[in-house]
Amino acid sequence: MSAEDTIEIKNTTSNNEVDKQQGFKAYVIRQYKKNKIALVSLYFIFALIAIALFADFIANEKPLVAKYKDNVYFPVFREYTVDLGLSEWPSDLQNIEWAELDYDFAIWPPVPYLPQNLDFSNAQSVGPFDEQRIKSLHWRHWLGTDELGRDILSGMIHGTRIALLVGVISMGIASFIGIILGALAGFLGDDRIKISRARILMCILGIFLGSFYAFGARSYILADAIAQSFGSLLVELFISLLIFALIMFIFNVLVRPLKKIPYLGEKRNLPVDMIISRTIEIIVSVPSLFLIISIVAIAKPSIFLVMTVIGATSWTGIARFIRAELLRVRNLEYIEAATALGFNNFRILMRHAIPNALSPVLIAIAFGIASSILVESILSFLGIGVPADTVTWGSLLSAARRSAQAWWLAVFPGFAIFITVTVFNLVGEGLTDALDPRKKR
Amino acid sequence: MLKYIAKRILVFIPTIIAISLLTFLLSLNAPGDPVENMLSGGQQGEGQLSNKLAGEQAYREKRKELGLDLPIFYFSFSNYATPDSLYKIEKSEHRKTLERLLYIYGNWDHISKYYSSLRRFEYKLLQVNKDSTNAEALIKVRGLSSQLFTIYSDTRIRLTLDELKSIFNAFNSSQEQSYRITQSRKNIDLMLSSSPELIECNAILQEIDDAYSSMKNNATRWKNYIPVMNFYGLNNQYHNWISKFVQGDFGISYQDKREVSTVIWDALRWTLMISMIAILITYLIAVPLGVNSAVHKGSKRDQIVTTSLFILYSLPTFWIATMLVMFFGGGDFYDVFPPYGLGDLGPEDPWIERFFETAYHLVLPLICLTYPTFAFLSRQSRGGMLNVLNQDYIRTARAKGLADNTVIWKHSFRNALLPIITLFANVFPHAIAGSVVLEIIFSIPGMGKVAFEAIFARNYPIVFTVVMFSAILTLVGYLVADILYAFVDPRISYGNKKA
Repeated sequence: MSAEDTIEIKNTTSNNEVDKQQGFKAYVIRQYKKNKIALVSLYFIFALIAIALFADFIANEKPLVAKYKDNVYFPVFREYTVDLGLSEWPSDLQNIEWAELDYDFAIWPPVPYLPQNLDFSNAQSVGPFDEQRIKSLHWRHWLGTDELGRDILSGMIHGTRIALLVGVISMGIASFIGIILGALAGFLGDDRIKISRARILMCILGIFLGSFYAFGARSYILADAIAQSFGSLLVELFISLLIFALIMFIFNVLVRPLKKIPYLGEKRNLPVDMIISRTIEIIVSVPSLFLIISIVAIAKPSIFLVMTVIGATSWTGIARFIRAELLRVRNLEYIEAATALGFNNFRILMRHAIPNALSPVLIAIAFGIASSILVESILSFLGIGVPADTVTWGSLLSAARRSAQAWWLAVFPGFAIFITVTVFNLVGEGLTDALDPRKKR
Repeated sequence: MLKYIAKRILVFIPTIIAISLLTFLLSLNAPGDPVENMLSGGQQGEGQLSNKLAGEQAYREKRKELGLDLPIFYFSFSNYATPDSLYKIEKSEHRKTLERLLYIYGNWDHISKYYSSLRRFEYKLLQVNKDSTNAEALIKVRGLSSQLFTIYSDTRIRLTLDELKSIFNAFNSSQEQSYRITQSRKNIDLMLSSSPELIECNAILQEIDDAYSSMKNNATRWKNYIPVMNFYGLNNQYHNWISKFVQGDFGISYQDKREVSTVIWDALRWTLMISMIAILITYLIAVPLGVNSAVHKGSKRDQIVTTSLFILYSLPTFWIATMLVMFFGGGDFYDVFPPYGLGDLGPEDPWIERFFETAYHLVLPLICLTYPTFAFLSRQSRGGMLNVLNQDYIRTARAKGLADNTVIWKHSFRNALLPIITLFANVFPHAIAGSVVLEIIFSIPGMGKVAFEAIFARNYPIVFTVVMFSAILTLVGYLVADILYAFVDPRISYGNKKA
């Protein structure tokens, strides 16, 4: 046996050890990779993300590189820097039709249109196989146009961005709320938190006064912010929350002297689980699409509002998952050990309990992204929530209802919604199988 | 068991109250004035004082009829600056302006003085006779005065008051000055000199100006930061609404003035009928299909069925509906089915014709309504069946030499029923709320469409009722599912819950 061979053998054993050390996570990844359909779906999602990230380079009215009047420009890049305020357009490139310019040479994106570009010579819904009035094959509308002459393919490419953004952000909000509330409910139950009567009293007072000063007294500032823009609403909301937190803090400081009074100092159980479970029940029993429609109908159309509302109504599934998981985990030995070591509840929850309960949440998130993409496309299909000039898959599909002969308006955007939703569902299925120890392969 | 049910129903009550509060809260933040919507243009345009007063009288009566003249809730949590009788101000538009002014200046005494002088100014202007010489100017002045009721920012009020004053000043000042002003100002000169009411108007305008500046000078903003609680007792909007709701009186639709219960019943009939047919088809085909595919697990047929069910499950219904309408509902392709509506046969036609006409119209909606639940249910029953088929007792049953059909339907299927039963409880409330998108695409006058339109028309009596009903049905659905569980599975008992 040569020396090289022994080294190789050692390497393989150490590899196995690494695998074992990584434990559950590596196991899940291995299991997941065995499922070919789920794996392909995951790669498909990566492709969608790439399309969303590089949408400006795939479909744009501006050339990628162009030589115009002896100057070489990178107009797509340039637009980013202009948007950031780092540079400006030269005067001869301001307010122009990019397609009409006389370039020395130009490299165009594969799709030379933006979703909002109106091609007047191909208006009134021209189909992909119809004769199109175009200069060359490069300018062809491969998937046709809608009644205003907007390119469908470009709309679908840029729509990917909105669809994924809606899925990711609304599920981010949902998992943030869901994980925190579900974990509190499951871990604390109805009996783990004992607080003194003084604190209950002060907290109720604090909530009342806090909401008065943070939201009641500032209601007009907030209302004006809603009317203005979503960004200013976020800023004002943040200030309000800060005021609220401050007032709660002051009242919690006041608890200390009050505790000295015997009656107020007595400790009571706080039914955390009961309160959170009831809240979940309430949200689940209101039909969520109605709730979303009524909120969106009142406020000014904005894609971020849609995301927030979807997120704020869809956290209950995640919360239930986490709650059930933590109800199981909280009586396991290692949690008891951590308690015995004198760690406080917060540390045990954050460092030990939640990380062990997160894997089923991944499943809920994958399915949740699929359903929030679907909800957003339904809303834009109905023409609510998203501003009228924003092109989304749903709004493209709704154009099909207005022109009955334009089958391409119905087929392609709907297919995009279908594929994306399916792919996320398949990933969810794959995760379910990979995380299920009974289905060991 | 009975004890458990009673306990669950008791838990319902706070949940339902919370939901009713939630919907009520949403309605308060909605823009628009329901009373104005209902009277719709009755007192609009230029008019005489008598018209105006009649209009206001009608408004007051309608408001009283709808119960909107009452305080909103049992108590209100407001600030020291806001008087507890603010809800008595009739027009919601005026109320909103006054609330804004309170927020800015915080002194109700001065604000109410300002408001009452605005009202007097408006009335006085209406007493001025309109004739050809002053018509244009009068319209201008009246427009400005009614504008004053809706603006609250200092600059805009100042501008409007200045404009009004300059118009009236043209009358007060010397002749030379009035020559400088334009044609319309000359009209005002004529108009002002012709009627004694305008002299009074000018005096009131002065009062408004004084009231406004004293309001500004004596601002007490600090009053906005002192919390106050007002109690109104039982005679309030929420209490009246919820107690009527419990008694089965859901109010009157703001839009077409029909009883909400009839509107909802008309819509519910369609939704119930359609979804019941859909659920029936679903259960009749989906469950055997799922069971069959589970029994032949791994076979070619199972793979095809499973894959196609998954694809069906992921197909967005509104896409399929749009495609079906486009390709089969007239248009340039196959004109097989009517794209929307329910046919236009009246109740006088023979029922058999109406039946076929309706059935013909319902083919496309039914396809769209059926396939997602169908796919979902088949997948669930396949999964449930697979779980059971792997159990030891099934192996034992087979080993005993029992017939395949007995093993499948008697031993396995009964145990696989469990999840399918719960699903019915989930499917039912969904069916009631109706599929909003499908009903809109096919314009079926069902619950979903009615509720959707009511939300946008701010027709709150209908929105409330729909939301409350679907909430109650969802809760009942969960309860029924839990009870059915206990019936099907003897291991589950709710009597003594000691886990």
